Amino acid sequence: MPSKTPHTNGNEPLENGVNGTKDVEMKDDAPAPLKGGKGKKLNEKEEEMTVVVPPSKGSKLSAPPLKDTDGDVAMDGPEDLNDEDAGAVKIDPVAKAVSDIKSNFPLLERAVTMFDARFSLRALRSISAIRKRLTPDILAQVITETYPSTNPAARSLLVAVDRENATFTKPVSAEMEIDGDSKSKSPKKEQKDIIPEIEIFLGILTQIYYLDNKINGKGADFSAHLAERIHSENRRTLDALSARVYFYYSLFCEQMAPLPPSTSSPVVSIRPALLSALRTAVLRKDIDTQSTVIVLLLRNYLSTSHIAQADLLVTHTQFPEDASNNQVARYLYYVGRIRAIQLRYTEAHEHLTSATRKAPSSPSAAGFTQTATKLLLVVQLLMGDIPDRAIFRLTSMERPLAPYLELVQAVRVGQLGEFEHAIKQHGDTFRRDGTYTLILRLRQNVIKTGIRMMSLSYSRISLRDICIRLKLESEESAEYIVAKAIRDGVIEASLDRERGFMKSKEVGDVYATREPGEAFHDRIRACLALHDESVMAMRFPMNQHRLELKNAQEAREREREMAKEIQDGDLDEDDLGGEFEGM
Amino acid sequence: MSDRDLQDILRKLKSSRDYADIPSLLSKAKINLLKLKALTPTPSTPSSTLLLAREVFETGALLSIRAKDPAAFTRYVHQLTPFYELPSSRLPPTGSEKNKITGLYLLLLLTQGDYAGFHTELEGLELREGRVGDVEKDRYLGYPIKLERWLMEGSYDLVWKAMASREVPSEEYGVFSEILTSQIRSEIASCSETAYPSLPISSTKDLLFLDSEGAVVSFAQNRGWLIKDGRIYFPKQSLKANVDEEGNEKQELSAMAIENTLGYARELETIV
Repeated sequence: MPSKTPHTNGNEPLENGVNGTKDVEMKDDAPAPLKGGKGKKLNEKEEEMTVVVPPSKGSKLSAPPLKDTDGDVAMDGPEDLNDEDAGAVKIDPVAKAVSDIKSNFPLLERAVTMFDARFSLRALRSISAIRKRLTPDILAQVITETYPSTNPAARSLLVAVDRENATFTKPVSAEMEIDGDSKSKSPKKEQKDIIPEIEIFLGILTQIYYLDNKINGKGADFSAHLAERIHSENRRTLDALSARVYFYYSLFCEQMAPLPPSTSSPVVSIRPALLSALRTAVLRKDIDTQSTVIVLLLRNYLSTSHIAQADLLVTHTQFPEDASNNQVARYLYYVGRIRAIQLRYTEAHEHLTSATRKAPSSPSAAGFTQTATKLLLVVQLLMGDIPDRAIFRLTSMERPLAPYLELVQAVRVGQLGEFEHAIKQHGDTFRRDGTYTLILRLRQNVIKTGIRMMSLSYSRISLRDICIRLKLESEESAEYIVAKAIRDGVIEASLDRERGFMKSKEVGDVYATREPGEAFHDRIRACLALHDESVMAMRFPMNQHRLELKNAQEAREREREMAKEIQDGDLDEDDLGGEFEGM
Repeated sequence: MSDRDLQDILRKLKSSRDYADIPSLLSKAKINLLKLKALTPTPSTPSSTLLLAREVFETGALLSIRAKDPAAFTRYVHQLTPFYELPSSRLPPTGSEKNKITGLYLLLLLTQGDYAGFHTELEGLELREGRVGDVEKDRYLGYPIKLERWLMEGSYDLVWKAMASREVPSEEYGVFSEILTSQIRSEIASCSETAYPSLPISSTKDLLFLDSEGAVVSFAQNRGWLIKDGRIYFPKQSLKANVDEEGNEKQELSAMAIENTLGYARELETIV
């Protein structure tokens, strides 16, 4: 029996194409090329699945009859089928998930045919919606319905989701119907060669499935395979996808047994893979992968605190300028971090400020913004600036930044005692945030601020008092510290050794210095940079400028005419005026 | 067999007190390591060889410190790094001089004024050790960390005390004391120049940690200070410089203002 069905199916499309509705046409078309033969097996598989996935049992039960109708009654009445399908779609979350996944395929295809990465990005964006519903069965179903059984790629994907013995089916049924419209163009051809983008896309879904279920070891192996596969394909349309593959690849390694800070973590072992991916990406001008991999490598190095290597990477690679905004933000954050550790605070500050500004404002990126802001706060303190109070009031920041608020307050007032108290109390938080060592460096800033406060409030103060207020160990230390502060230009004062006091000099007028000018200049520069960036960020549709040019030319002509008219008008007016006067 | 050769050389190295033949012994050891392909750890190197290799490098590092050869020491440290990063199952950390050598390396960076390198190294230590607060408490590692903090703060007397007293964790650390002392002294001198209008010679002696007043006088002469009636006067270079600077500054300021304004004009033009 089954051997017969394919024939009917195979012949059917033509007829349907002529008289059928679109939906039905699709449904019948699709199965044909995928070779029948398996119509029955599909049913078996479906039943098998109901056993595996208890929750969807109810919905599954409604599915098999549907398949049956397909096999035997398919040609009877389209209406009938449609009703059933619609019902199935409503109840069946599995079918819904499958259809959601499949709805991305046309996007990927469009990305290939039109050579526009935006479509692949759109497909990638939909992942987050599918993510929660992923199960191996759904994946297996999609795979079996998309690929012919002979396809080795499909085989390996099935092995990956642990459903090797899932049988290949003709994609009859509801799912196909839904995305039918877009696929109906050339279903036959499409089935013959499925573009590798789809394979990789399914691979990414598999990765996500592994990741969400914490099957890290297997996930890493699978990712390595996937990466190799991408490497061999060398298709520019894969770029966006491959970036994602590497991203998950390194995530797997990060979560595997010896966790990052230890040097034997698997994180170290994927470095060569990432580095070679970076090389290839650079050679192929694959900006997505390049930016992603650079960021991953930086993250990788910093996780084991190989800061020197990370620094070398930064100096020896060029981060692509037109990388996606999120990658730029991440990159800036990591570079800022490296610079902060190297005591290059000005650069760190610059990078971190732009990182926090570039960070997406959506709530899902709140974590990044928080981390970047924390680091930025510490760097600001290290530079001797006091961060804006408003930062701590933002609702998304208030709680995570609370320990930092205490710290800032201590530094602002210059109270060593409070400062050490804050460190002691929140030491663990700071360690977790990776800002602990940076914060320890703040001690000298606290002392300096303390001295400055004292020099501002007293015209003359004994070293003993300084020593007591700053809780220093000895008067001698106080003397040296104050001397250093004077030399570093923190305060304007002089010391008297014999009588043991510090005498402050008169404070000059700030407005007589170049400081206000500099502040003004800084702000203007920031505004200009913002303007430039927003101009650069604008996207223009292709060939639109010609139209505009034309318009501009027209406008110019019109203007010229108008000018002429005005000129004439002016003359008229003059004339009029003249006449008037004359009158 | 090579293993045994290596052990022999090591034994000789350790017993030898004669600096002359140490370099030759060390290079012999390194050639041996090269033959064993253990100059850098590979996955196939047996643990025993790794242990030996580490020992050779450690001895080499310590000896080069004693011989006051910072370049060689840095080289040894870099060679040791991959060994220290091996998991303890492959190379048991017992008997390793890791902390001592890392501490020495930190101190070296400190005396070279390479604060960026110092902090980079320190960051790595804190994270990789994974044990909270251990780094500071360690005898060898805590020493340079404390010194750095005091130096940055300006508590030079504490640095001085730490170097003078028995707090120095091992004799190798003493090598750096001399360099650090002169470093501190010049720091203090430059601070005093700006901080004090004048200083009596007797108290300068304490201030600069010098032994005698004679030493103070010669030090003052070296720095170009004036000595009058038992007091040191710092030539008012700073004042002169200030006047000069102000003149310059004014010019600079107006030049900057003009430049900036021109820049704004240009930018405005591109925007409008």
